[in-house]
Amino acid sequence: MGISSSIHVGPYEMFYPLKPSVSSVQPYGKHNLPGRLFVVEGIDGSGKSTQLSLLHKWLEARGYGVVFSEWNSSPLVKDTTKLGKKKKLLTPATFSLVHATDFADRTEHSILPFLKAGAVVLCDRYVYTAFARDAARGMDGDWVRDLYAFAVKPTAAFYFHVPLETAIGRLTGARDGFKYYEAGLDLGLTGDPEDSFRLFQGRILEEYEKMIPEFGLTVIDATMPVEAQQAQVRRIVQAHLAQAKELRVKA
Amino acid sequence: MRQTYGKQLPGMRLTDLPGKLIVIEGTDGAGRSTQIKLLKPWLEELGHAVLDTGMTRSRLAGDGIRRAKERNNLGRVTQTLFYATDFIDRLEKEIVPALRAGFIVLTDRYIYSLMARAIVRGMDPSWIRSIYSVALKPDAVFYMRIGIEELLPRVVFSRGFDYWESGMDLFPGQDIYEGFCSYQATLLAEFDRLAEEFKFEIVDASADASEICAHLKKKILQIIDPARVPAPASSLADPFEDSLADKLFANLSMTRPSLPTQ
Repeated sequence: MGISSSIHVGPYEMFYPLKPSVSSVQPYGKHNLPGRLFVVEGIDGSGKSTQLSLLHKWLEARGYGVVFSEWNSSPLVKDTTKLGKKKKLLTPATFSLVHATDFADRTEHSILPFLKAGAVVLCDRYVYTAFARDAARGMDGDWVRDLYAFAVKPTAAFYFHVPLETAIGRLTGARDGFKYYEAGLDLGLTGDPEDSFRLFQGRILEEYEKMIPEFGLTVIDATMPVEAQQAQVRRIVQAHLAQAKELRVKA
Repeated sequence: MRQTYGKQLPGMRLTDLPGKLIVIEGTDGAGRSTQIKLLKPWLEELGHAVLDTGMTRSRLAGDGIRRAKERNNLGRVTQTLFYATDFIDRLEKEIVPALRAGFIVLTDRYIYSLMARAIVRGMDPSWIRSIYSVALKPDAVFYMRIGIEELLPRVVFSRGFDYWESGMDLFPGQDIYEGFCSYQATLLAEFDRLAEEFKFEIVDASADASEICAHLKKKILQIIDPARVPAPASSLADPFEDSLADKLFANLSMTRPSLPTQ
C-alpha cells in the first residue's frame, strides 16, 4: 500500500505524483514552477541555519526575490503544536501529524505560491526532518513518506553532515538545557535529558544517512570552516540559477 | 484481535480491545447526532459504558481547527491534515482506551467522512487512504443516507446556510444556496461510493427519528449481544472480513466521480 514507491523522481521535478480526484484541481505534481527551492537539513548543531542565512544574504545581494520558510512556523498551526508540546499531549503519530499540518500550511501559503511567482525559496528543514524524526520515534517510514506526498521536490537539498559529538559540543554552552521533544524525552529512552538527546539525535543521524542515497541529498562536510562550506553551497546553488528570474527589486 | 486498514501506529496494541466500535456516518444534517443522543442513554440503561466522540472534539486539535476555519485561509491539504491530527489524537487518546476498557464507542462520523470531504476537495484518494490506513476497522458503520431534496429544508430551515457545509471554500463563485446544493450532492455521490466500498449498513435517514432509532437499536443489539438476539448469520458478518475493503484500499488507481462542472 502507499505511493512511496514513486518517490524516486529526478531533480527539478515535483516531489510525488499526487493525482487529484477532481479535474478542476491542479495536481501538485504537475505545476510548472519557475522558482527554485533550496533546503538545508542536518541535526541540531550542524550549522545549517548559519549556512542558509549566508546564502540568503548572497542571493538577495544578487537581486533574486528570496523567501524564507522555517520548520514548524505556520501561524495557523502554531497554537496546536505549542499546546501539544506544553501539555505533553503528543504521541509519535500526532507529533508527526501536527508537523505535517504545519508543513502543509507553509506549502500552500509560503512555498508553492512563491515558486509559482518565480522566487527563490529557502527552507530551514524540510520533509527529510520529518522522515528522520518520525522514524526515530518509531513511525512507519512509508506512511510518513506518503503523508508528505504533497510536498514540492526541492531543486537541491543540502545535508550538513556532522559527527554527533561535534554537534553536541557546539550546542552545550550555546543553549540552556534540552527541550522535552527535541531531546526525544517522550520516548522514555533515559531520564537524563543530555543522554536522551544524544541517543535520539544519534537515531536521527542514522536516518539521515539512509536518506542520502534515497533522495540524492547533497552532502556538505559540516566540520569544514564556515566559509568553505558556504563557497561550496553557493557554487551548487549558482549552477541551478541559470534561467531563474532575477527580480532586481532595487534596480 | 482488532484490525486496522493496513498500518499500525507505534504503541497501539490491537489485542485486548473487547469494546465495540460503532460508527454513525452521513452527510451534514442527516440526523446522526440526534440518533447518538437517543442511543447513548439506551445503551447505558442496558448497562454498557458508552463513549461518544466526533470530529474536532480532540483536546489537541479541536480548538486549532475551529480557529483556523474562522480565518478562512485554511488550504485544502492543511485542512485535510488538521482533521487527520484531530482524528488520530482521538483514536489514540479516547477510542482505543475506551475499547480496551470494554466501552461501546459511538462515533459521530469516522474516517469515511474525512475521506469524502478530502476527496471532494481534490485530494488524491490513495493519499488519504494511506493516511487513514492506521485507523481501526469498526464493528459496524451505519450510513444515514438522505437525498439532497430532503436534506435542504431540514438543514436550511433549522440552522441556515453554513459556509463550510455549503462548500464555499470549494465553490467560491456561487451563491450559498447553489454552493450548498453542489457541495452536498458531490459529497453524497462520494459517500454512496464509499458505502459500497466499505459495505456500510445503509439507513434511510428521511424516515422518522424514532423509527430510525428502533432500527438502529435492533442492529446494535446484534453486535453487542449476539447471543440474545437470534439473527440471520449474514447480518452478523463482519463487513470487512473478506477484505474487499483491503483490496480496494490497496488499489491506487481508482476512478472517481468528478465534480459537476462549475
